[in-house]
Amino acid sequence: MSSAVDHIVPPAVAEEELFRAQVYALLARLFARPPDAAFLTALGDLAGEGGEFGAALDRLADAARDSDPAAVEDEFTTLFIGVGGSERTPYGSFYLTGFLNEKPLAELRVAMARLGIARADGVTEPEDHIAALCEMMAGLIGGEFAPEDGDTVGLDGQRAFFDRHVGSWAGRFFADLETSPSARFYRAVGAVGRSFLAVEARAFDLAA
Amino acid sequence: MTRNAVKATDEAVKQGKDTQSTDKGLARRDLFRAAGLGVGALGAVAAGVTATGGPAEAAPAETTSTGYRETDHVRKVYEVSRF
Repeated sequence: MSSAVDHIVPPAVAEEELFRAQVYALLARLFARPPDAAFLTALGDLAGEGGEFGAALDRLADAARDSDPAAVEDEFTTLFIGVGGSERTPYGSFYLTGFLNEKPLAELRVAMARLGIARADGVTEPEDHIAALCEMMAGLIGGEFAPEDGDTVGLDGQRAFFDRHVGSWAGRFFADLETSPSARFYRAVGAVGRSFLAVEARAFDLAA
Repeated sequence: MTRNAVKATDEAVKQGKDTQSTDKGLARRDLFRAAGLGVGALGAVAAGVTATGGPAEAAPAETTSTGYRETDHVRKVYEVSRF
């Protein structure tokens, strides 16, 4: 990344805040596409550091070691691909209204414009996909975006975005994933996501 | 291995201002650590999913003094989510 452009250079981020961004990035990656063999191997080396979240990471590592890439790819397709045909529908609008592309998506697009975020070229999925939202949270924490008002997005701004667009439904989605009949590897991913969001919500309360 | 994955970031943090020096910031930090969210827990996986600049990919934008934002100023996301 070029350091010549001041307003997109990430501001200093405290290390635990950075770790939040890493977890969001991990979730974004896992919901964007199934992990390949190399990524599964890396996930298998995860070692939690205690707590509910640490335990969830340990179970994810176990699941990664027990999974083969082809099976996880099949699982991903069964769980997430195909509107109406997939076991789970990982979109905010669906969880909040029962339908895709409803008002929550419109509101998200307004928020994205204000925060200086756009959908990448060539992407056709609506922006309220869980992977996109996790990617946005990671970027907000890392200070990667350039909001319209020229300001940086602090914890208040992160919280506002989180409460409206992520915390309002993603916990239910992750919990659903943990009980999805076809979920094996992604059951463990759901547990990581759910326990992480619970910590996020409590941490935002502490900062308020 | 774990340390290597977060090295560059540690340096970046040291160079910058401390944004978490308040009591609230410390309480947050304690909560994250108690919950098992310590830097390093993701190890090499963190390096895999957060290459420099994060998962999103965008061309560096030029600053204009007109108050007008060109398309490139809008950071693109969802690159990671292509199927």
